[in-house]
This record gives sequence, structure tokens and C-alpha cells, in this order.
Amino acid sequence: MTERLVVEPDLDFIREVGILGGEDLKKCYQCATCSVVCPISPQNKPFPRKEMIAASWGLKERLVQSADPWLCHNCGDCNTRCPRQAKPGDVLAAIRARAVEEYAAPRALARAMNTPAMLPVLLLVPAVYLVVMGFLMEKIFGARFLNFSPEGAIVHAKMVSTWLVDVVMLSAAAFAVAVFARGVSRFLGDIHRNALAEGKTAKEAIDSAGFLQALLRTIPVILRHAKFNECTENRARAVSHMLVLLSFIGLFIVTSIFFVAIYVFQQHGPYSQLNPVKWLANVSGVALIVGSILLIRQRLAKPDQKSVYKDWLLLGLVLGLGVTGMGAQLTRLAGWAGVSYAVYFIHLMLVWFTFAYLPFSKLAHLVYRTVAMAYAEYAERR
Amino acid sequence: MSEEKAAPASGTILVVGGGISGLTTALEAAEVGYEVFLVEKNPYLGGRVAQLNQYFPKLCPPTCGLEINFRRIKDNPKIQVLTMAEVERVEGKPGDYTVAVKVHPRYVNENCTCCGACAEACRTEIPSEFDFGMKTVKAAYLPFAMAFPARYVIDPRILGTEDAARVKEACRYDAVDLEMQPKSLRLNVGAVVWATGWVPYDAKKIDNLGFGRHKNILTNMMMERLAALNGPTAGAIVRPSDGKPPASVAFVQCAGSRDENHLAYCSYICCMASLKQATYVREKCPEAEIYIFYIDLRAPGYRYERFYDRIKQDPRVHFIKGKVAKVSEDPKTGDLTVVAENAVTGEKIEQTVGLVVLATGMQPTASVHKPPAAVRTTPEGFILNAPEAGLFAAGCAAKPADVVSSNQNATGMALKAIQTVVRR
Repeated sequence: MTERLVVEPDLDFIREVGILGGEDLKKCYQCATCSVVCPISPQNKPFPRKEMIAASWGLKERLVQSADPWLCHNCGDCNTRCPRQAKPGDVLAAIRARAVEEYAAPRALARAMNTPAMLPVLLLVPAVYLVVMGFLMEKIFGARFLNFSPEGAIVHAKMVSTWLVDVVMLSAAAFAVAVFARGVSRFLGDIHRNALAEGKTAKEAIDSAGFLQALLRTIPVILRHAKFNECTENRARAVSHMLVLLSFIGLFIVTSIFFVAIYVFQQHGPYSQLNPVKWLANVSGVALIVGSILLIRQRLAKPDQKSVYKDWLLLGLVLGLGVTGMGAQLTRLAGWAGVSYAVYFIHLMLVWFTFAYLPFSKLAHLVYRTVAMAYAEYAERR
Repeated sequence: MSEEKAAPASGTILVVGGGISGLTTALEAAEVGYEVFLVEKNPYLGGRVAQLNQYFPKLCPPTCGLEINFRRIKDNPKIQVLTMAEVERVEGKPGDYTVAVKVHPRYVNENCTCCGACAEACRTEIPSEFDFGMKTVKAAYLPFAMAFPARYVIDPRILGTEDAARVKEACRYDAVDLEMQPKSLRLNVGAVVWATGWVPYDAKKIDNLGFGRHKNILTNMMMERLAALNGPTAGAIVRPSDGKPPASVAFVQCAGSRDENHLAYCSYICCMASLKQATYVREKCPEAEIYIFYIDLRAPGYRYERFYDRIKQDPRVHFIKGKVAKVSEDPKTGDLTVVAENAVTGEKIEQTVGLVVLATGMQPTASVHKPPAAVRTTPEGFILNAPEAGLFAAGCAAKPADVVSSNQNATGMALKAIQTVVRR
């Protein structure tokens, strides 16, 4: 208790946490009910009580550079039991959103993702990019990659060639991977330093082999939603979330298989509905739609949970991906050429949006939470 | 000024509630010469204070002070006490209220000498409300040894049974009157002081703290009865599960208070009550370790602060800054594990203890039984003074308070009531 702490509050940070959904933060009176009722909070330095005081003191580094906010699955048990309705779960969600911004480069893009007014611009970028790339490739290779008046049987590749789709999507994915690589390496270093400083781990340094093993042990935990399922208040959400995650994985597998089919075996789509890969695609597509609708309904049904722009943007995007994906296929089968091409085009835009902006959006939790959970496993934080 | 100052139709004051605040208002008004009706719904006066083992910070028995007040009432012809009575309606205006009061039958008249023969003869036992159900009493009973009026009560549940006949038979003073009927009275009064007090917050509603599910969890008011010599264990602090003295006791502060899911406000007395009860445990179970889990300890004023400082010196009393949010029971031993985060060290604490006392707060009685009059209350149910009407609130009917402040406030309300009836 002789340790002296000079608090240098980052007032902007406090304000940002408020905007990102943590506006009731200052109601907290530090009773620590939240840390006790949280089913997944560790024994040593549990969250979110300490995050609540650090946030109201504006101690940004202690929060955005900590793994703890990412260990929270926002199940809401703390919100329900909080005697002051300070909504610790929502404060942690806001801190996570702020941390995504912190580790993203360029930062301006991350801020734009949290600014509703920027949405039209962000949506327009993939359309412009696709058209410009189509134009450039036509100039370079002398072939047509874009045709806005395709004729005959509906084949989406007639409008946007598979080559062009892959160039546009892979470049977006490569960008996301690069941003994540930089972000995660900084993040991992920061959360380890934070854990050492706060006495949350006995491990002096991160050894790569040990960390990788911890990561491998963590992945089944994530796939089973084992932590998510420990929540009581919001357990129903774990099922919907699992549907969405598994459908994304399913669609990733489908895309990879078709990628190989095209470039290795020269088999172009559309593929037969009897193809088992197609079954996986359709099951995943339906699961994506159902899961995201359930998540939206669950959020609407919980007025004690703060839902802000970042939350609706992600849910809207996921639903949009599912609806346009299935929609493009169904309208193709129905023979509605104009509609089908238009819906397909929107679908492409949303896919690009998802890929390119992944490290800047709430969806970045896919990476940061995985890393934080793997680190907690490595650091033996229980 | 030509404002008319007509003489009030009635110079009488009605005090609703015969706890410490109501007694004080009634006595202060009566002792300066005003007629007072004191209406109490229980068969005895003294209210919550009668249930306490000791006052803080002096640790003296409340019966001492109550006895003095009862003496003052007995000697004062200006106070008319109505027990087992409820106000049903208050109508009119300041200086001229008509009050409907219903008096429930006691089935025992003023011939009673408290000989106890009726209780001996009675075979039916009922849970003692006075002792929060921790023991049973005969259906013909004296509410507690010091009860005023000193007169037995017969529980209506035995009417028409053989027990009723036995009880009547046993009385040698012709004091048992099983034909007694409820009475409706109409009182004309000039002002009303509500001293309806408080009820302990229902600890079952705080479902994460396990009260009602686990035997060895008490409320602070139950602890008062347990420690009281006239209580269910004759003053022994023992665990309900096995009747043994606990090896350790945890006090859970703010159990339902300062909590928007329960009582949003601070109940004011619970910190001091737990500090006081720590001294009960130290005295009666000297080997027991005591853990007090709190958000912040509130010991207002230098007397209370000094009391707190004294308890802090005790090496067996441990203070942990962190609210208990989870309690679990070992079904074999009946021991309980309370979980909190020590907000100073940032460690989760799982403390296993033999007995848990929930420092439950005060819920205004008016939030449960709305006063049948044109009074305004806060959203929590505390009664607001309406000086423009002749309606006032004293003690814990107005705000959570200790006995000292209740009495000061009750004295002030006697003056307010007097001002109303004399129209000044």
C-alpha cells in the first residue's frame, strides 16, 4: 500500500469509451459484484471491477494493452447483477472496440468504421475498387473482366470474371493479414508486458512453441464455445454465435475447395445442387442467416444491454452476407437475371467489406480474442 | 392581514405506529398538554426496537429505554393507546380529520394478570413472528417478556377448537373473552404523524446470497433475536443447522441496499449494526473469526467513528473491501463459502465460514402498506411531510435512520403536529 500512483487521466479515452457503449461507466462504485458473478473471470486479478476503475480514471494503456477485456464474452451476468446499472459488460465491449482501433493501421480507417456517417464511403470503396481493377486488367491483359450486360443463362462470372473477383478479394485479404500481423505482434507484446506488470502471469517471456501449443489447446475451446457456455444470463446467444462462426468456417471451406476446383481442375461454376460441397455451402448460408437473425433478435430483446453502431454494423453485415449470398443463388435458379446479377454484385461488395475491414471492425475479435485466450492459456491465467 | 384563523375542530393528534418514533412523538406532544391517539397494529408497543438485543454504540439494552417510555405513557392520561389497531381511512383537512380505525380482537381483556395459565393450557404452537420464526410460541402468548400493554394475546387460529376451550378454562381471572369482535372507531383529530417505520427487506429476493436456501444464513434482525437473552436461544449465538456455536462468522454488508435491483438507497444503520453484532459474536463466541465484507463502511458522526475504530483494533475482526456476490453451502457441514473480490488487492476471496449474517436494509412499511391518506411518498415509499396538510412522517417512515435520529426527528414532528392543531 506504500506504492504511489500518479493518475494521469486520458480524458479523450473516457469520452471514447462512452461513445462506444460504455456511457454508464461512472455509475460504478467499485463493489466488485461483477468480478464475482462473472463465470469466466479468473481468481487472480479478476475482471471487470478493475477495468471499471481504470476506465473511469482514463488509464488507457492498462485497458487497451490488456488481454483481460478480450477474455470477456459479454454474456451480461455482470450487467444483470450490477447494483448501479453501470453495465460493466458494455464497458469492456467499448474497451475492446477502442483496442481494435489502437492496433489497426491506418487508424483513420478504424475510426471511420466507428463513425456512422462514413458508412456510405466505406461501402463505395469496394465498388470503385472492383470497377477500377476491372478496367486496369482489361488494359493490361486485353480481355474483358467486367460486363454489366451479360446475356444468356445466368452465370455470375459473366458479369465479374472469377479472375477479377479473386484479384480483388485476395488483395483485400492480403491487406487484412498484413494489418493483423502488425497489430497482433504489438498486441501480444503489450498484453504480456501488462500481465507481468499486474502480476497476472509467472511466465517471464513468451516462447513461441509454448504459445503455439496453447493456441492449439484454445481452438477447440473456441469452437465448442466452452467459455461462452459458462455464461448464464445470455446463454442463448452462445448458440446463435456458434451458428454464425461455424457457417463462416463452412463457407471458408467451400470457397477453398472451389478455388482449387477452378485453378487446379479447371471446373467453373455454377456447381450442381447435387454436389456435396454445394450442400455445405447452402447449409452454411442458411445457418449464417438464421444465426445473425437470432443474434439481432437477442440484442433487441435485451434493453439492459447497450447496443451501439459497431454492434449493429457487424450484425447487419453478417445478415447482409447471408441474404445476398443465398439471394444471388436463388434468383439465379429462378431465372431473374437482372435481380440476380445486382444481388450478386452487392454480395461481392459485402464480402470485400468484410475482408478488407476485418482488422478495423468488431469482427477483429476473431483474431484478438483468439490471441488473448491463447495467451491466457499460455500464461496459466485461471 | 385578514386571513382567518378559525379554531381547529380538533386539537387531538393521531400518531400511527407505536415504535420508538411513534412513542416519542406521542409522548412529546402529550407531555406539553395535547391529546394523543397512538395507534399500533401489533399487540404491543416498541416496534423494531423491542426486537433489538443492544443499541449501538453504547451496547445497552433497548428494553431499558422502552420501559421508561411505557412508564411515561401509563402515567399520562392524555395518551390513548390502541394496539392491534389499523388506520383504515383518513379524510378531512388540517385541524379536522376524520379517521376510521379498526381494532382487531385480542380475545384477552384488561383482567389479564400475565399469570401464563392460558399459555400452559394451550397445546397449539405457532411460529413466533417476533423471533422471525426461529422458535414457536403457544397460540395464547405474551409477545415478549417486557410487552406493553402487559397482556396476553390469543391467536385467532385456535378459535372454535378444543384449545380455545382449554385456554378459556385455564384463566382464573375471567380475562379470556372468545366472543370479542372487531371494533370500528371514528376519531376526530387535527393532525396525523405517520410513524409506520420499516420492515426488514426480504432477503429471499437477493437470490445470489442464498437466504432461505441455506440454513446457516441469517439476517441482521434475526441475529438480534439470536443474541437477545429473551430470544429463541436465550442469547446463545448458534447455527440453525446444528445448534453449535459458529467457528467463524461473515457479515455481508449492503445485502439488498444501495442496489438498484433491490433497495436503491443506503439503509444507514446496517454498517453500525454489523459492527455492533461483531461485538455480540466476540462476547458469546470468543474463538470465532469475524469477516466483514463491505463496499464502504459508513459510521457517521464521531461517536460511530470511534466505535468503528475500536472494532478495527480487534485482531479477530477482519474487514474486506468487496461485496459478497455469491454464497454456496457445503451440505455435509452446513458451512458456507462466501465469494468476493478484495478490491484493494484484486484477489478473489473464497472464505468458508460457519455462519453468514446478511446486513439487510430497511424497506419503508409505507411501500408495503400504502397509508390510507392523501400523503405523498418518495418512489421508494418513504413518506414526505405535507405541512400544508396536517400530515407528517417521523423516524424511519420518513428516511432510513438510527434510533437517535429517529427520536430527534419524532420530537420535531410532535412540534409540527402541535403547530397544525393550534393553527399558528
